[in-house]
Amino acid sequence: MAPLKSLEQEYPILDSNFQSFCASHDIFSVEDLLLHDLYVLAAFAEQESSSERLKQGIAQVLSIIDGQHQPWLNGMELLEDAQRNKHVLSTGCEGIDLLLHGGLRVGQLTELVGPSSSGKTQVCLLAASNVAKKHIGSVVYLDTGNSFSPQRVTQFICQHSDPAIDQAKHTTLRKVMNNISCQSVFDIFTMFDVLHQLEFNLRSQIQGGDCKVQLLIVDSVSSMVTPILGGSGSQGHALMISAGYLLKKLAHEHNVAVLVTNHTVGGDGGISKPALGESWKSIPHVRLLLSRDHGGSICCW
Amino acid sequence: MEAKGWISGDESAKEMLGRVLSRARPFLLLPPLHRVPLRPRNVLEIVGPSPSAKTHLLIQAALTCVLPVDWNGVHYGGFDGLAIFIDLDCRFDIFRFSHLLKLRLASGSISEIDREQNDNTKKRSSIAYDEELYTLCMRRFSYVRCYDSFEFLATLKTLHYRIQKEKAYGNCVHMLLIDSIGAFHWIDRASTCLPLRGNNRKSHSIQTVLETVVQEIRKLLLLHPMLAIATKATLFGNRAMNEAKCRNLRKPDTSYSQSGGITALQLPYREYMPSAWQTFVTHRILLRPSDDHLAVSDDQNHSVYFSEWLLPSLSFLDKFIVKEAGVFLVA
Repeated sequence: MAPLKSLEQEYPILDSNFQSFCASHDIFSVEDLLLHDLYVLAAFAEQESSSERLKQGIAQVLSIIDGQHQPWLNGMELLEDAQRNKHVLSTGCEGIDLLLHGGLRVGQLTELVGPSSSGKTQVCLLAASNVAKKHIGSVVYLDTGNSFSPQRVTQFICQHSDPAIDQAKHTTLRKVMNNISCQSVFDIFTMFDVLHQLEFNLRSQIQGGDCKVQLLIVDSVSSMVTPILGGSGSQGHALMISAGYLLKKLAHEHNVAVLVTNHTVGGDGGISKPALGESWKSIPHVRLLLSRDHGGSICCW
Repeated sequence: MEAKGWISGDESAKEMLGRVLSRARPFLLLPPLHRVPLRPRNVLEIVGPSPSAKTHLLIQAALTCVLPVDWNGVHYGGFDGLAIFIDLDCRFDIFRFSHLLKLRLASGSISEIDREQNDNTKKRSSIAYDEELYTLCMRRFSYVRCYDSFEFLATLKTLHYRIQKEKAYGNCVHMLLIDSIGAFHWIDRASTCLPLRGNNRKSHSIQTVLETVVQEIRKLLLLHPMLAIATKATLFGNRAMNEAKCRNLRKPDTSYSQSGGITALQLPYREYMPSAWQTFVTHRILLRPSDDHLAVSDDQNHSVYFSEWLLPSLSFLDKFIVKEAGVFLVA
């Protein structure tokens, strides 16, 4: 909530006269201006002595507000951006790639839902190793349950390479493993910290190495959100939705594919349903349901 | 004399009807929105759980808006104007929009597309469409994303100037589409601001945010007559109703599908928007998925959705499915 005073340096028209006029209408920051009717304010400004300058100040504030939302795009520009940046990352598993029409799409949030030990972490590890190896991109893996296994990733990477010289294989393995950055997060506030830091790094384009982040995996988002949901307060839901929007923003603005896992809970009539409730349903773009018995998957969104 | 001037009138009824009808013609949108004529300055709310094809209806409305009435002898029946799409849900897929537009251009009217899609020989091969018209229509679609309420308010406040700029180029905006008006409900609900100075300072709460949103949209609709359509996801189920439904699971569920109408007491969701928004909405339609599936061809199994008009309250349900070429009614 930047107060109007701080804008005076950059925009000298928002001087102390303008600020005191706004203060008389209980407006102290730009966000307050967003909640007020600017036409009414301009009408009040008419009655003041320095009405011209005040109205210029209001016009200046409007142009500041215009810079506060995302840019407008038309259909062709959207399509060009999507074709250029929003390609598809293969997960390494043909069956899942088929369901996802090619793989994990950059710019979208894919959710894997399933009961315990239905293979969600395995899919995450496979996708991480595949992207690090084939797509020349780096992976950020946020692990909430200490389930990241470097040995398993090594197995995935070395699976398809021919038994060449050990030295060359070792170097490739090192390079690929360097592209996967694993961090343990155990609560949602740490996750917010990590994601904000990642956003800052991506925005200022500081690379840890020479590879751009292509895939972000959060395993599992439900174990971080479930402890804060419930009760009569709405803070838990607000944090969950904020986290969802932060992930979507990272995905779209910085061209990252996001993969999250979720577990299932019992629902009406004994049928299990994904956890995190109705509000979370509108966050992911694609939802894959994994079940254990037959190894089948249902895709729904 | 002056008194005579009072009685003689300004224009005849014929002239008045000619003036009014030429500017404000009723919109007949594609099914399932076709039952009630929608005009500019109407506000339609499409409400439903997730997923229930709400965004698809918005996309179809946007397509109808950007297409011309006629082009090169083919009748498209569009409104030949700009469509403004404010995406609060941030899940819009431009590839799907582009695909639907190409299918519409290739076939003219939507019933023809249905016939062609069912004809397996023409499946997924190259679609012949007019490049120039395609680019024109894509350019008429304006899109912006908002990641929180402040960005949404900032967009609404500056929208008037944008529309005026477009009018200067000769383009008229016919539709304002908002995807998921309740997207920031939880975030706004949980954010409370301690007033720092002044007792009358407006705090950032759902009430004030939505009142400002309604105020801005109302001003926009006054200045630029257009149709506003907003989708809303149901965040809360109606627990009593769901429990009753579960207890009756073993009995055949005839009551729901046959009797049709739902009275206000039996709404399957709880209304969470403030009254400022509820009174602003002039039309409301409820979508929900049914348990039936419709097998269109061997490999495609589409789920059937119900749609029901709540405002004005019509007492029957429409059934529709979403196929590759869009939304189609099922008899």
